[in-house]
Amino acid sequence: MNRVFILTPLIVLLIICIFSLVYLLSGKDPNKPPSALLNKDVPIFESSSLYNAKDIIKTKDIKNKKTLVNFFASWCSPCKIEHPLFFEIRKKYPELYLLGFNHKDPTSDAKKYLKDDGNPYDFVGVDSDGLIALEFGVFGLPETYLINEDGKIIYKFMGPITMDILKNEIEPLL
Amino acid sequence: MSSLVGFLSLVFAIGINFYLFLSRYIFKFHKQKFNLFIRFSSLLTLLSFFSLMYAYVVSDFSNYNVFQNSHSNKPLIYKISGTWGNHEGSMLLWLCILSIFSFFFSFTKNIEEDFQKLTLIIQAFLHILFGLFIVFTSNPFLVNSILINEGLGLNPILQDPGLAVHPPILYAGYVGYSIVFSIAIAGLFQNTDDEWLYVAKKWSLISWTFLTGGIALGSYWAYYELGWGGWWFWDPVENISLMPWIAGLALVHSLMMVRGEQAIKKWIVFLSILCFSLSVFGTFLVRSGILTSVHSFAADASRGIFILLIFFIVTGFGFLVFLLKEPKKSNALNLLFINKVSALVINNILMIIATLTILLGTIYPIIIEVLYNKRISVGGPYFNSTVIPIMIPGFLLMSIAPILSWQTNKINNSKKYVLAFIILSVLVILQSYFLDFNTWGFVGLLLGFWIILASIIAIFSSYKIKINIKFFKIINPHVAHIGVGIAIIGITCSSVFQNELDFNLNEGDKFNVNGKTVLFEKIETTNEINFQSLRGKFLFDIEKNQSKEIEAGKNYYPVSKMITSEAGILHQWNKDIYFILGDQKNNEWFVKVLINPFVSFIWLGVIIMMYSGLIAVSRR
Repeated sequence: MNRVFILTPLIVLLIICIFSLVYLLSGKDPNKPPSALLNKDVPIFESSSLYNAKDIIKTKDIKNKKTLVNFFASWCSPCKIEHPLFFEIRKKYPELYLLGFNHKDPTSDAKKYLKDDGNPYDFVGVDSDGLIALEFGVFGLPETYLINEDGKIIYKFMGPITMDILKNEIEPLL
Repeated sequence: MSSLVGFLSLVFAIGINFYLFLSRYIFKFHKQKFNLFIRFSSLLTLLSFFSLMYAYVVSDFSNYNVFQNSHSNKPLIYKISGTWGNHEGSMLLWLCILSIFSFFFSFTKNIEEDFQKLTLIIQAFLHILFGLFIVFTSNPFLVNSILINEGLGLNPILQDPGLAVHPPILYAGYVGYSIVFSIAIAGLFQNTDDEWLYVAKKWSLISWTFLTGGIALGSYWAYYELGWGGWWFWDPVENISLMPWIAGLALVHSLMMVRGEQAIKKWIVFLSILCFSLSVFGTFLVRSGILTSVHSFAADASRGIFILLIFFIVTGFGFLVFLLKEPKKSNALNLLFINKVSALVINNILMIIATLTILLGTIYPIIIEVLYNKRISVGGPYFNSTVIPIMIPGFLLMSIAPILSWQTNKINNSKKYVLAFIILSVLVILQSYFLDFNTWGFVGLLLGFWIILASIIAIFSSYKIKINIKFFKIINPHVAHIGVGIAIIGITCSSVFQNELDFNLNEGDKFNVNGKTVLFEKIETTNEINFQSLRGKFLFDIEKNQSKEIEAGKNYYPVSKMITSEAGILHQWNKDIYFILGDQKNNEWFVKVLINPFVSFIWLGVIIMMYSGLIAVSRR
């Protein structure tokens, strides 16, 4: 009994060290959380268009086509940086459906932003209360998701996408 | 040049320690010579640290570490604190404090020569481990290959006087446990008399006092700098410091109680190893970047693995020795229903459960992520609902523990205590009834006041009141507990009875806080040496002639492009009024005002605890 008691700290030590080592070796970065949604179905959502409140988009509307979902806002400066890249994508992959979600933004600001910088999206959905972002598990703007024809999320990127990321990570999936 | 001096003296110091380590087996030394070597290596480590500090002070940007973390525009004090405001420098500080402890320990008298030597050899071993870690993975003396005129600046959130001294004091606590660890291991090896227990007591009290100060400074800093109005967030790094603190508290109590009982001696050795292991584990968690917290540093897997290895070696070695070399047989434990020994056992069990609960909550996210690749976070709700209830019976017991007897179940003057408890309960019930009732508020206030009251009764009924040093030493345990009681009242009031008010204001608006009129005077922006400041100026209680001015705002640091919030706090003895300036929208400023009752009691309680810690060091 006594021995067992004295052995316990060593066993606990071993367990802690093994888990920590596996964690370190797996190259996980605590600042980049794994997406729980990767390889899962797109969350159920429903959103109206920025330009016409009667125009509604639902989860089933993006089935059977590859879709790139991008969360953005006029107040988000990194979004401005990645914005021109969506025009490139638009040009190169005309069949890809570009769905933008305008996150927690006054409608007028969002409209002005898309007027000034151009609108690359096929559909701009309003997510004024941030509930859709919550469903997708968005951590911070901008965030981009690639969804395949079966409605599964196959790629997620946090932060502004760059040319390198587009070439090396997104294009191979298209 | 200073980089070269620093690096060479560091390497030389490690070399000496290696030599000393081998001296156990190969070269035999005389005690005097041995001590001289230890002190010399400590001085070299200090020299290494001061070389780095010098590079910071003169803004020597040829040093890569200085270039990365400093800027010539910074005020002198932050240049100095910049030395440990980064990973490499803070590890060097760690090693430096380890050396300082060895240095002072080498002067300890009244202990067996061989025992002292062995303790210092274990210290030398630790010095080698951490020294190699610095040289191979975190060298602060790397030199830039090109000429550079300006640095990249220090994290602006660290440009704060409180935080400048927080790491050294906290480290003094963490690293101080290394001496306790070494003493315990040496005690196991030598298995001599009980003299080492008294030596260990002194050092563990010193470490614990430093750790208390370090944690308190950290949370005071969080209170006024982070601008959230709270002072404890169960942030992983806070938890990491709390674990050795609680374990250290258990250790200090066990050391004061030990009277040659074998079971307690064994337990003391266990706690000594545990305290230092938790310190090293904390260093690992923070330095590997494995946890996200306000203390995020650049993560580097190789560093993490190196420290994990050190943690494994140190802890594994400690517990292995503990397993193989049990303390000598001695007196049996004198456990009664309620005497000093049983109170001590209960208090220790509770503290260890609390420590393990915090440990579990802290590493649980790592385990889950490894197993399920899922990110979870364990925060306040878990810790509040587990750790606090575990501690409550301990707090209840603590009010009477110092007056319990060693041999019998009798409590002197027990009627007085019962009467006092009943009166106090009625008063607190009345208070809760007439003001707002809250279960935790009720429990916290009752506990806090009960601890203070029982300690005061104990002082007055057990000792003759005299004003001299001896008397203060005798009543010291009661004083420490009064400190805890005061802190509990502060903690309870500031968290349970906190009041929050939100306003949208224009400049010149008047608003009402706690029955007093406050004027939002103006917004002012100024350019300081290394930042731009935006301040909202408030006049509190304008109806009085001596209205108080409060400034709350933000600082913008152009070099690192960071914004920090600066809360404006009006301190009163019974409450803090805490102003936070938010964003501007449609020409209106969002202003949040928090009323934190009795926050100052927390700091007062902590100061009393630290005072008692220091007094206890001198008491045998």
